[in-house]
Order: sequence, then structure tokens, then C-alpha cells
Amino acid sequence: MTTVAVPTDRHFITAWSAVSPYGVTSADYARGILTEDSGAGRAVPVPEGHAAQAACLVPGFEVREVLGRAGTRTMDRATGLAVTAVRELFDEASREERPVPVGTGTALVLGTTLGSAQSQHDFAMASFTGQKPYDVPAQFMPNVLMNCPAAASAIRFGLQGPNTTLAGGRPTGLIALGYARRLLAAGRAERVLVGAVEEYSPSRSWIEHHTRGADESAGPLGEGCALLLVEPGNGIPAGRTALAELLAVDIRVDVDDELASTAESSVRDALAAAGVEPSEVWAAVGGGLTGRVGHVETALLRRLFGAEAATRVDVHDRIGDTAGASAAFQLAALLATARRRPEAHGRPAVITSVDRDGSVACAVVRLLGEAP
Amino acid sequence: MTARRVVLTGIGVLSSIGNGVTEFTRGLREGRCGAGPITRFDSTGFRRQLAHEVHDFTPSAWVRHTPAEQLGRATQFSVAAARMAVSDAGLDPADLRGGPGLVTVGTTDGEADALDRLVEAQANGTEPAGLDPVGVGRLAAHRLALAVVKELRLPRAVPSVLGTACAAGNYAVGDGYDAVRSGEAEWALVGGADALTRRTFAGFHRLGLVASDRCRPFDADREGLLTAEGAGILLLESLDSARARGARVYAELLGYGLNCDAHHPTAPNMDSVAQVMRLALADAGVKPEEVDLVSAHGTGTPTNDVTEIRAVRQVFGDRPPRTVALKSMLGHSMGAASALGAAASALALTHGFIPPTVNHRSTDPECPVDCVPNHAVEADLRVVVNNGLAFGGNNAAVVLGRHEET
Repeated sequence: MTTVAVPTDRHFITAWSAVSPYGVTSADYARGILTEDSGAGRAVPVPEGHAAQAACLVPGFEVREVLGRAGTRTMDRATGLAVTAVRELFDEASREERPVPVGTGTALVLGTTLGSAQSQHDFAMASFTGQKPYDVPAQFMPNVLMNCPAAASAIRFGLQGPNTTLAGGRPTGLIALGYARRLLAAGRAERVLVGAVEEYSPSRSWIEHHTRGADESAGPLGEGCALLLVEPGNGIPAGRTALAELLAVDIRVDVDDELASTAESSVRDALAAAGVEPSEVWAAVGGGLTGRVGHVETALLRRLFGAEAATRVDVHDRIGDTAGASAAFQLAALLATARRRPEAHGRPAVITSVDRDGSVACAVVRLLGEAP
Repeated sequence: MTARRVVLTGIGVLSSIGNGVTEFTRGLREGRCGAGPITRFDSTGFRRQLAHEVHDFTPSAWVRHTPAEQLGRATQFSVAAARMAVSDAGLDPADLRGGPGLVTVGTTDGEADALDRLVEAQANGTEPAGLDPVGVGRLAAHRLALAVVKELRLPRAVPSVLGTACAAGNYAVGDGYDAVRSGEAEWALVGGADALTRRTFAGFHRLGLVASDRCRPFDADREGLLTAEGAGILLLESLDSARARGARVYAELLGYGLNCDAHHPTAPNMDSVAQVMRLALADAGVKPEEVDLVSAHGTGTPTNDVTEIRAVRQVFGDRPPRTVALKSMLGHSMGAASALGAAASALALTHGFIPPTVNHRSTDPECPVDCVPNHAVEADLRVVVNNGLAFGGNNAAVVLGRHEET
């Protein structure tokens, strides 16, 4: 198979998966996101020596138990989470008899903060504590690279299209979506798996501990991998239902210490590009930061879209702070929620993400699909 | 939507053979080798002692709006090279402020140097709770692009960092190409940056891939690579925009290709490497026989060079274009490598010369190419292919063409 996609301006989300603190399947995630009982209770105790006492972990996630023993000997947690999310998306599509083709036409665009901070930490530590400074575990060299989760997913499933690892802070999932759209528009892939992964580890817990703002009420960290399948309008195979159309992505940075106006301009410009009025928006899902930055975002969404739309989808309180994967989890939560709400179909929805360092992102989608 | 032609009008470079486009060009012409003793970390106990470091770099000269110590070395490189590229294009950052733009920076290690230092502190007894928060604040990889946007005050730029390991520079160049070509961005600052890291040096050392004296790509006696640091950032804009402002054009970006071996975590796959060059040529609308020069990934490791040259011959036949390995001069600057390769390719097209493969003694019969040994040659170049290959099978090739105003 060769890459022969016909460029199109319209892009659709046709499938998703989420390996989350609710479990490895998308059904687990949907159940968790939709349950009445908001789930701060997902956090479980973590061993001593981590920065906090609890975290929202993917339950029972041991790479070799989930993925088997073949080809998993050197997989770290971030890699295992990503590979599992790809597997889940492919398996569900196959069960519904609309399998996702692999090969050169399929790209993977995977967001992350660092890849596996723990793998990097352990590898460097070996150099300082080994008998010789080069006594590092060479078989784990690929794991210290950010592209390990994406590359391992490609190897496992035969994804030979563009294979991109992208870091963009909390908005990473939306920046990756914009990147994926460029790949499709340029005809560099026929379909793109796009999302983000974040592992929980002691190393990450300390990095987050030292970089969170003093004004933030630090909730538990979360982990997992959320993926979306994005296809051009003319490339959707018969039988696959479009869940949402990607209408606009706006990404910008507050460089002048004017976060509120930067965020508002981003959302308003994205809406304008999508041809959507604020009053039409069914749900607006924010990035979940607390503190001053988070308050700016929350206040903006409530003012533009009203409290009902701004609270329709609840994600971060349930799965914890998934950092670089947070925006991808917001999108998956939106799709999971809309699937159960027929009145949402045809309505636009907004995803925003605002980071401590001034990055601002907004995506506008139109919810489609059928009631279950 | 009419696709726009994309040209390269500004180059910013930090490298072991010189900083800034003028020194870099001179270094390429002279065939300088930037290898030297490691000073960036304590190399006591390593059996290999050489690397390619950036010298004469003063962060405060480039990082103006943020306390420079808040940025790791790779991020400082990225900011400096971006400022150089804008200035080299005859622009002020304020000129880029209005239009939508793209800042895409490729990297292998991001701020691994900062993490190495934190880990060292822990190895020496610092509790994690006592780690220096300023040091921890440097770690997040996305800051390599974000710091450029914030330092240059570019509120409408999309900041992305691409972590596609040692092909990341080319990945970033390709992203900028697509964004400018479609009109999504008015301009793009794209390339790569990496700082020397103990972790990566130790890893390659352990794998037996670090040379004892010099990096000698395609040489019968090659021992391996030398790790390096550096940055290459390119300013891309549409040809119309460059013409309208009377800008000097180094080269036109003709196209690029991306693929993934999906085969092995570290060993490149010959057919896939050949395929990425074919994808790039097809994207550029260029026939193999129209290519005058290949800027190879050319790490100088025993097996990778053979694989890449076999792929070159698969694409170009038994008489391939001259194929040079800049890593002989620059070392392996990781995510910056293919960005520096793209910069060198553009300079070669502009000035009509081929940078050499230095440290060369005798060509390996298994790597049968004219690698332009040791001395640059004058050449009337029209099309150059620049390769970037990475762990994980992430391949990217970029095609650049000479620009002539008619």
C-alpha cells in the first residue's frame, strides 16, 4: 500500500481509545466519566518516597500482564500505556468489523511531556552509581528517548506512516491535533492516530511537585494514554461512523502577561474559524488547572458558554492531573459523554487548554454520530 | 487552495565548527572538525574522551526576557539560533509578530543535561524533595519552542517540539514547509537543538558506538560517532513574501518525506530508508537523476553507514550523486543534526560548493560513494537531498533546490 491520500479540508474523528485510571478499555473510561459519582476516589495510595501519598493509576497495569511477554521485555510504563491504547483502538474497530488499516498510510502523532521520566532517571542514575560511568543498561537506551512510545507502537502494529512524537505542555493533545491536520491536508497520511501519553512514576511525581504553582491546589496525578483516529472526509470507510468533525484549532502564547485576553482571543478566533456562535456550544471542556491560570480559563468558559455547557463534561477531577495527556483525555471524555446524549449530536463543542507558562489552545468540533 | 512555494531566507546556527551562518559556512568550506575534549560533564572513567561542543556561547546575549538560568542549555541554543535566523533573514522579531507563524523545534534529548545534573545530585545524597526547583523547571521538552515564542514575543506562533530523536530536525523543517505551503502560517522558524548530555554519551559508549579519535563516515576504519551539541534554526516563508520584501533566498524547499521502519528499536531498515528518500523526491517532483548531492545521515558507525549507502544506491543506482557526511565535522548533534544538514545543504546551493567528509583515509568498499573526502569542492548544485534517520525507525528526508530569480 502506498500513500495516495487525496487532500481534503475536512477532518473527522472516527474512533477513540483511552487507557485511563478507570481501566484499559474505552468502555471503562466512558463508564468512569459518566458515572454520577465524581471520582476523587480513583486515587490510590502510592509507596513512600513519592511526592504525594496517592495517585490515579491505571488499575493493575503491568506492561507484561497487559501486553504479554513477547516483545515487551524493555517496555517502560509510558510505552506500555501507548501500545495498549493503540491496541484497544484497533481491537474495538475490528470487533465492529471496520478494522483500521496499518502500513504506510497510517500515521501516529503522539504527545508527551518527556516520554518516560523514570526511564531517563534510572538510565542516568546507572551512570553515576555503576562501577564505570558507562555501566548503563544499553538495552534501555531507546527508552530514554521521547519517541520510544510512538516507535514501539509502530513496531508492534506495523505503522509505517509518519511517526511523530510531540511535546507542547498541557495543550499537547490539541497541538498534536493541529499537526495531524497538517499531515492529512498535505496528503502525507491517509489517517492519523493522534493523542498523548503520560505515565505515573516517582520521578514524574517529583518533577510535578517542583513545578506546580504555589497557588494551585495540587490534586492527585493521573496517567494513561488517550488516542483519536482522525480521517479525512473522503477517506472514511463505509460503515465507520464519524463521531465528530474537527472544525478549528487555535494555538497561541501569552507573551505579554495578558493571559485572560489571550485565552479569550484564542477561543473567539477558533469559534469564528469554525463558524460557530458561543450560544450554540453544547459543551466546553477546560484544561483543569487550579490556581490563577486555571481560574482564568474556567471563568472564560463560564462567561462565554454558560455554567451548564462549561460543566457538562467532568474529566480531570475523575482521572487526576494527566499533564501532557490532559487535552487528549478531555476530547475522549467529550466523545464518551456525547455518545450517551442524543441531543448533543450536531452541536459544536469546545476543548481548551491553558498552561502555566502561557500556552493557550482551543479546538472546536461538531459532535456527530448516532445514539447507542 | 493554491500551494505556495516555500523558501529559506534565514539561518541560525550553533555548532562545534562555528556559531552564526558566516562562521559555519567558513567551517564547512575549510572542512573544520569540531572534535575536542569533553568539558560539559565530568568524563572521568569513560574510555572515550572526545565530543563536539559549542564554544563561545553566552546565553545572556540571546536570552533577554527570561532569567537565562531558567532555561536549559538546549533551550538557550534554540532561542539563540532562532534570533540569529530572524536577523539573518533581515527581519526584526517584531516583523513576525502579527501573522500566524510556527515555531517547531526538533530534539532528541531536550533538557536531558538538566536531568543528568538533578540525578547526579540525587546520587550524591540530595533527597528528591530538596532538588533545585529552577533545575526541575528546565526539564519540560516543549520549552525549546515555547522559549523562542516568548523571547521573540511571537504571540501568534504555534510552539511545538518534535521528539523524533535524531531525525527531529528534518521533521520540524517538514512541518514548517507544510504550514507555509498551505498558508496556515506566514512564516516558520524550524530546526533542531540539543545540548551535550552525559546520559546519551554513556549510552552510545556502552553500545560501543563512540569513536576513539575522530568520526570517519564511510571510511574503512571507522569506529563510530562522536556525540555533539548544536542548533540549527531556519526561517521559512513563501516565495511571494520573500520577493515582496526583497529578501535574499538561500534555497527553495521542494518537498520532504517521512516514514517509519516499524521494524527495530535501533537498527535502520534499508528498504525503509530508501523509501523515505523516494517519498521526498516524489513530494518534490524531482527525479533521482536530478539530484546533485546527498547530505547523508552518515553517523560513522560500522553498520548504519552501510545500510544508508545501500539505500542511496537503491534509489540513485550504481552512480549515485556525491554523498557527504557532515557529522565528520559537526559530530552527531542529535535532534539538531538534520537541521544543521538542511542549513549546510542550503548554503552549498547558495555558494556553489560541497562540504567535505573530513577525517577520511580510505573509503570502505561497503560504502561505495564519492564522499568528497577532506576538502570541499566547487560544484554547480541544483538539488540536494538531506537525510535524517533515528532510533525507532523515524526517518525524514528533505529536498532543497537552488533558487534563481528569473
